[in-house]
Amino acid sequence: MEVKVLFFGVLAEVSGTPVKHYQDVRSMGDLKLKIQDDYPEIVHYNFRVSLNSEITDEDSTLKSGDEVAFMPPFAGG
Amino acid sequence: MNMEKTYLIKGPVSQEIISKLIARMGVKTDCGGLMLFLGQVRADEIDGKKVKAIEYSAYEEMVFAEVEKIKKTILSEFEDAKSIEIIHSSGIVNAGEISLLVFISAGHRQQAMLACSKTVEMIKENLPVWKKEIFEDDSHHWK
Repeated sequence: MEVKVLFFGVLAEVSGTPVKHYQDVRSMGDLKLKIQDDYPEIVHYNFRVSLNSEITDEDSTLKSGDEVAFMPPFAGG
Repeated sequence: MNMEKTYLIKGPVSQEIISKLIARMGVKTDCGGLMLFLGQVRADEIDGKKVKAIEYSAYEEMVFAEVEKIKKTILSEFEDAKSIEIIHSSGIVNAGEISLLVFISAGHRQQAMLACSKTVEMIKENLPVWKKEIFEDDSHHWK
């Protein structure tokens, strides 16, 4: 299974890419740990996470094709 | 998801777009109050460096969904409001150019003004958009 991960704003600079694919992550918790391993610096930033365009705090189960976004505080306008 | 209508445009909101929207309102003869809000890029000075432009990035699909939610909320909360136009820039917008347009039509002025104000606040709070301030020396700062 593969999950698509998007990084926005300053987090795209932290990760060095706006998009990355992760294999075999079973849950949001799993994914967050993998991302912290890959980009330890990310813990210094405030961010929210969305699953398929809906903001979530839950440790949801992930399935193939899911899209997860890591988003710093919004700054539109 | 229906992405035919987008609320994001590349670059600034031009005078042409603004004029066209105002002209189009002429057919809404049941509306007596039209409220237009324009957000302009400010040339802020930070640590002695002046902002020359903002580069906006957005989560496009989520922007679409959130704008639809905002419109629905406003139209149900303000019964006199008839229509809402929202346009946000993506990409580079120079200082002095327009990056956000909110245009509300309502039967009467008061609801037009209140609905416009609430729409702008909801955009600030809920739209997944980020801005990178670019200084005159080409260094940048995430806001």
